[in-house]
Amino acid sequence: MLAQAPDASSLRAAQLLASGRSWPLTGAEDDSALWGECLGSTVTPYRTVVDLSGPAYRCSCPSRKFPCKHALALMLLWSDGTVGTNGGPPDWAASWLAARSAKASDPKEPKAPADPAAALRRAEQREARVASGLTEVDRWLCDQVRQGLAASQRYGYRHWDDIAARMIDAQAPGLAERLRALAAVPYSGPGWDGRLLEEYALLWLLAAAGREQAGLPPPLRDTVRSRVGFTIRQADVLASATPVRDHWHVLARRDLDQDRIRTRRAWLRGRHTGRTALVLSFAAVGQSLDDSLTVGTQIDADLAFYPAAVPLRALVATRYDTGPGGVPLGATVAEMLAGYAAGLAQDPWLDTWPAVLEATPARAPVACLSDAVGEALPLHPGAGDCWPLLALSGGHPLTVAGEWTPRGLWPLTAWDEGGMAVPL
Amino acid sequence: MSPGLRSDEGATKEGGTLEAPRRRAGDTVNSWHDLVTASLIGTERSVVPAVGIPGLPPAEDDPGDPAAVLLDRAALLTAARRAGRRPDRAEPLPACAPDPRPTVSPAAARRLRRLISGEHPDLLTEWLAAAVARGLRLPPQLLPALLDRVRRGRPADPGLPRLLAQAGGPRARWLADLNPDWEHAAEEPSTDDKTWRLGDTRQRRGYLASLLNRDPDAGRALITGGWDAAGAADRVMFLSVLADALGPADEPLLEAALDDGAEDVRRWAAYLLARLPGSALGQRMAARALRYVRVEQTVPGPRLSIGTSRQPDPELQRDGIAAHPEPIRAPVESRNHVLLEVLARTPLSTWTDGFGLTPAEVVALPSGGWAPVMFAGWSRAAIAQGNRDWISALLGRALLGPPGPAAEIEALRQLARRADPALGAPGAVPVSAGDPDAPPPIRDAARILRFRHDMLKELDDG
Repeated sequence: MLAQAPDASSLRAAQLLASGRSWPLTGAEDDSALWGECLGSTVTPYRTVVDLSGPAYRCSCPSRKFPCKHALALMLLWSDGTVGTNGGPPDWAASWLAARSAKASDPKEPKAPADPAAALRRAEQREARVASGLTEVDRWLCDQVRQGLAASQRYGYRHWDDIAARMIDAQAPGLAERLRALAAVPYSGPGWDGRLLEEYALLWLLAAAGREQAGLPPPLRDTVRSRVGFTIRQADVLASATPVRDHWHVLARRDLDQDRIRTRRAWLRGRHTGRTALVLSFAAVGQSLDDSLTVGTQIDADLAFYPAAVPLRALVATRYDTGPGGVPLGATVAEMLAGYAAGLAQDPWLDTWPAVLEATPARAPVACLSDAVGEALPLHPGAGDCWPLLALSGGHPLTVAGEWTPRGLWPLTAWDEGGMAVPL
Repeated sequence: MSPGLRSDEGATKEGGTLEAPRRRAGDTVNSWHDLVTASLIGTERSVVPAVGIPGLPPAEDDPGDPAAVLLDRAALLTAARRAGRRPDRAEPLPACAPDPRPTVSPAAARRLRRLISGEHPDLLTEWLAAAVARGLRLPPQLLPALLDRVRRGRPADPGLPRLLAQAGGPRARWLADLNPDWEHAAEEPSTDDKTWRLGDTRQRRGYLASLLNRDPDAGRALITGGWDAAGAADRVMFLSVLADALGPADEPLLEAALDDGAEDVRRWAAYLLARLPGSALGQRMAARALRYVRVEQTVPGPRLSIGTSRQPDPELQRDGIAAHPEPIRAPVESRNHVLLEVLARTPLSTWTDGFGLTPAEVVALPSGGWAPVMFAGWSRAAIAQGNRDWISALLGRALLGPPGPAAEIEALRQLARRADPALGAPGAVPVSAGDPDAPPPIRDAARILRFRHDMLKELDDG
């Protein structure tokens, strides 16, 4: 059910809302429909209806996300069993549900467009809010640099959470997410000052790009907008992207837990196109993540890529077949770095880059991977010594897949002598 | 115009020579450090340094807000530094020698992962020994976790480092050489006799065990030769190592050790003598046991009649049985205590030969309220004497038989760990044992049997 969430921030918002206090009225009918009234920032509560047979959603809130956090929260409440079942739907829910079932029985009737004028008005409102958010973040960044970053280690999390919360209000969740993550940087060990300046500088660049987006080439504009926090509905991606069919090798997977949300990143590489794809899935902490992409396998599938200057994120549109993946071709360090540089030229905010290397682990001067010509890259400090990787190699070269980041390579998968993929 | 900017202009003019790129790269690094320093102090109190990026014209002096200028330059340099990152150099590691053995099957590897993560920790030794016996290699990626477990002494087994060295092969040794924490986690005991004279207790123990394994007579000679000069701790070490290489030739030493001054030495000697087939101590125990336990013919059939003696038995204490139970170790009544301890040390052939019955028939004899004591005593004897027929019979009684004695959980677990693993085959364990309503000890034993059966089958299927 939570796979319906358009992104992690919607899911997080929904979890906060999913308590009885926010919902003076909820109801359900035969596991086919849910409705509820949710107290929000406005005088009248938002009215939310979910048709579970679709699923389809309707909510009186102004959000353009689909489903919105209210619909998600209502489904969370329902899956917790806290939605009552007595009494039929109120009129406002019943009319929509009736219209839906009428439409379902007559599939020829085209989908009625939502009020286009209202949608346009909402879109314009959001653009204006985000624009003021970008100006605010600009001012905040200048303040930081003017006063100096030296005091950052004395600030608490609040310092970054406050400005992050203001970006949420400005409907720029992408900026909020970046800002919130900064709170950990001053405690990330030696070199934190440089890393904090890097992040501030990239935010500064993002805010500038967001203001000037009208003048950007369309793919870069898509990248900037998605990094600021404008999400694209999965349905729109599926509808507008030309599907790329290939045998996609699932190279590596990484799960991250943050703020009660688990994110799974699966890195795929097309055997024929040579393209790399990143498939994301989300779950609440404690719930299991999508397990359909197994490291080491290869899926014959259509992928739909989100539009971006460097299109990496994709959806599995249609899946035809699954088989064993074999050992991928590993690059040299120089080849991988050249690929990353080319990616940065298109998207300067890229900080997680798929790496498949043919290399030997080494430990001196730091834990690293060294290729056939002796060029080496450090492992990410968070990956530690990565003893299983050393054990698999025994001092011999092997194929390693992972994520290259400015702090080092995070190894995720290695292939053993028998050609089996071993998640690290 | 700042000096930094001027030097950068110079570098641009020099473009094309071999020297220039290196100097420019250095400039990039320096200007980044300058920018970081300025950002730490804050633009209120510092001057924004100029930056130079190879291939780009130098930044012009910006009359705007110094903070904005600094952020502009930092953004440019961040992208440039990330895109222009150069590879490092590393010192290669020595290459590990090849291991020609085939690797265990993926199913066996998954099982090993479960064992390492703490499931049935007592079965790790058996799994490793079974892999070594089958000439199989461990999945290398699991060696680090295994080395960690052995280093932390879980399960506590002094023979584990040797076993891990054999099972892990050259790869385990190679890893252990890289990490001082694992120095002793995968080592074959030294065979250099200097170890015996100069080593610490752990090393001497390893040396003695390995010598007893290769040349039992030489090992025995080492023990008897060093016995008189050894302290109590060393004597206990001798006896605990001897436990794995026990033979009739050891009886005189053990019998003498029953009169040792140290209680631990006496206890070990009595324990080993009870395990030694045909020992005088075993005969003395058998005589006692037959005084306590008789077969009585009754109308429904034969049953056991038990009568413990209240007469003092001065030899009992010498044979390792205290007059009263230790309150913590054996929470049993006093009279049960003596019976239990005697049963645990009595050769099992005493019953089969004396009654003319099979083990299964003996354990099926009704004994009324004594049944739990009989079961526990026989279980300990079966485990100490390594008698698989008896282990099977006792487990069968507990798992298959009619509602039997409420056996001690630990006794059942121990039996299940040592029984013929075929008992764990599907169908061999009755439905009632896997039944959620079965008593927990029974379910526990059934689970252990099943786990062992499966794990050995996976290794055979490799």
